[in-house]
Parts: sequence; structure tokens; C-alpha cells
Amino acid sequence: MDNGTSNSASENETITLKSCDGIEFHIDARIANRYTLLNNWNGGESACIPNVNGKVLEKVLEWCEHHINDPQLNCGDDDSRRRNTIIEEWDENFLSCDQDMLFEIILAANYLEIKPLLDLGCKTVANMMKSKSPEEIRSAFNIDNDYTPEEEEQFRKENEWAEDY
Amino acid sequence: MVNLPNECFFKIFNYFRADFKNLYSFLLVNRHWCRIIVPILWNEIANKLNNRKLINTCLLLLNAEEQILLIPFKIVLPNSPKPLFKYSNYVTSVGRLDYLDGSLDYLDDGVMNWLYNEGYKDVYSNEKDDNLAIAVKSSLIAMFLRMSKELKYLGIRGMIYIKAIKNFCKNNIISLNLFNNNFDFEETKVLIESIGQNNTLSSLCISYNNLDSWSGKALSE
Repeated sequence: MDNGTSNSASENETITLKSCDGIEFHIDARIANRYTLLNNWNGGESACIPNVNGKVLEKVLEWCEHHINDPQLNCGDDDSRRRNTIIEEWDENFLSCDQDMLFEIILAANYLEIKPLLDLGCKTVANMMKSKSPEEIRSAFNIDNDYTPEEEEQFRKENEWAEDY
Repeated sequence: MVNLPNECFFKIFNYFRADFKNLYSFLLVNRHWCRIIVPILWNEIANKLNNRKLINTCLLLLNAEEQILLIPFKIVLPNSPKPLFKYSNYVTSVGRLDYLDGSLDYLDDGVMNWLYNEGYKDVYSNEKDDNLAIAVKSSLIAMFLRMSKELKYLGIRGMIYIKAIKNFCKNNIISLNLFNNNFDFEETKVLIESIGQNNTLSSLCISYNNLDSWSGKALSE
């Protein structure tokens, strides 16, 4: 059984990835081996990763490189990870970027199916939202309130039971 | 805010699955968030059904037929506009098995709390008022059986109207727990018929129901 710490590619092997804005990255082939979708764009002269620009791809690859020796988790671990909102210090610093970049990283991780990074990004956003009022959340994430006042009041009333817990 | 796909929002809100207070805050942010959060919030309400405010919202979901059960008792339903969501569509469990220990039933408690709060408490202690609670509970169970297509677990403690479970056969319930319901012979026959027509039930637990030998045998079959 693959314990996730060994990859078939050797340490010196590199592959080339190109962002959608044409920036090339030469990365350890073991990273691409871990995340199948990255491997799909390996090497081709004109093969660019659509939707992910150089700035974001650089961050994503930085994270992948740092976590190259992490054990790969099974699907069954998903539930316990979901409940756990603790974030390691390196990851916390890594995601202490501006909010737009944080969301771009989540989008890229989702697109490239880098599940642990997607979980980490979502967990970071969840921690930012915790214990905030609707108004505070709207202001923190620059979200418009599209409820009519009557609708908002009705929603409040129909779900106010949840506030008791 | 960068537009994240719904699956990412779902992942984020899932960290708060058991955190009702936070979910309540989030659903008031905007319509988009609300559409994702309502199914999460209403998925596991089984052990919150003792909350009279939750019962109040559930009563808004009764249809005309279910409301008829309440007419003889002159129960005045909440005077509110039609609910913004079909909330009970997302409910997966009512009267959880773990809690049906004979002394604790969240739905029973919630109905009583609602009746007290609405001013029916002065007349609560006599037999007529037990019927009041039975009528409200029956109407709610009928509503859950009609609307909650995801309902997997149903536990009913105490007396209810047998017609409340007429939609049982159309449901996808996998586990039914009946406790101290005092069904008479005719009611038991209806119950057996409903259970027989349900294709998904894999667990049936009947306790303190004083069934005669025919009913017991028919149900076990």
C-alpha cells in the first residue's frame, strides 16, 4: 500500500508547468506525481494551466513543495479533518496574504484538485468568519446584502431558534 | 469577495455543521449564502425540536389537511407569511433513536413548550389538553412524513393519530422506533399496512405497546 511518502519520480527529476499568463515553473516531479491534475500539464510547449495565473500558481507550488513529504490522507480522514479547525503555524503564515489571494488559492486548489490545500484555505476562511455578526461578515468580505428588509426580518424570525445554541 | 463555487462555500460552512449560532449568523448575510446554509442548518434538528421557536416555524409548514387536525382544539396557528423555504425538506431525523428512552422526547417537549408559550397552559393539566398536544404532534409528524424526503429516522413516543403516518409508505425511512403509542387493534392494522408498503425500512423497534399476539406476529413478519 502506498503510504504517500514515496513517489515513483526521483528527487532530481523536474517537470515544467506554465501558468495561464505564460510564466514557467520547473518543479520537483514528485509534486506532480502527488496531484494528478498538475501532471496533466507537464512539459508541453504550449500546455498552460488554464484559469491559474503565475502569481497564484507560484503560491500553490510553494505550498506543495513545503508539504511534499506529508503522508497522503485517505478519504475516511475527511470527517475528522472537517471538525478540526487547527492550522499549523507554517500554513497560517503562508495564508496570511491578502483576501483576494486567499480566495484565488482556494479556487486554484479546487480547480487543480489539491484537496489538502483546498481544506486549508476553507478552514482559514471558516476561522475568519467564526463568531461574527452578519454585518461584520458582510463588511469583512465586502458582500452586499441583497435581502429586502422584510425578507431579512422573516428569515430572522423563521430561523431564530438556531440562535439559542 | 472573489466568487467561489458553491462546493467551496459548502466546504467552509461544513466546519460549522453543529454550530447553529454561527450558521444562523451566516444565513442572514445574503441570499446566496442562505441557499447553501438552510439545508445544513435544518439537516440535524432532531435534538433541537424541544425549542418552541423551532416548533413555531415547523407549524408554518402545515398544509390544509394537517391543519384540520388542530381545528377541534381551536389552536391558532402562527400568523406569519408563507415560509421562505420548505425547511423540512432537509430534515433527516425526527425523534432520534438514542433519545427515545421513555423519559425524553424532544418533539413532545417542544410541542408542550409551544403550547405553554402560546397561552394554552392554563388548561394543560386535564385530559383534553393531552389531546391538544397529541393533535399538534400528529400534525407535525404528518408534515415531516409528507415533506422530508430525506427523513431516515423517525421515532414516535406516546399517542398520535394513526392517520398522521399515512405518508409513511411513500418515504425513504430506514429506521422507525415506536414507543408507548397505545395503538388499538384497528390502528395497528393500518400501521402494519403502511409498514408493509414501505420499501426502505430496515429497522423497526416497538416498545411498550401492549400488542396482542396477532399484531405482534404480523408486525414481526
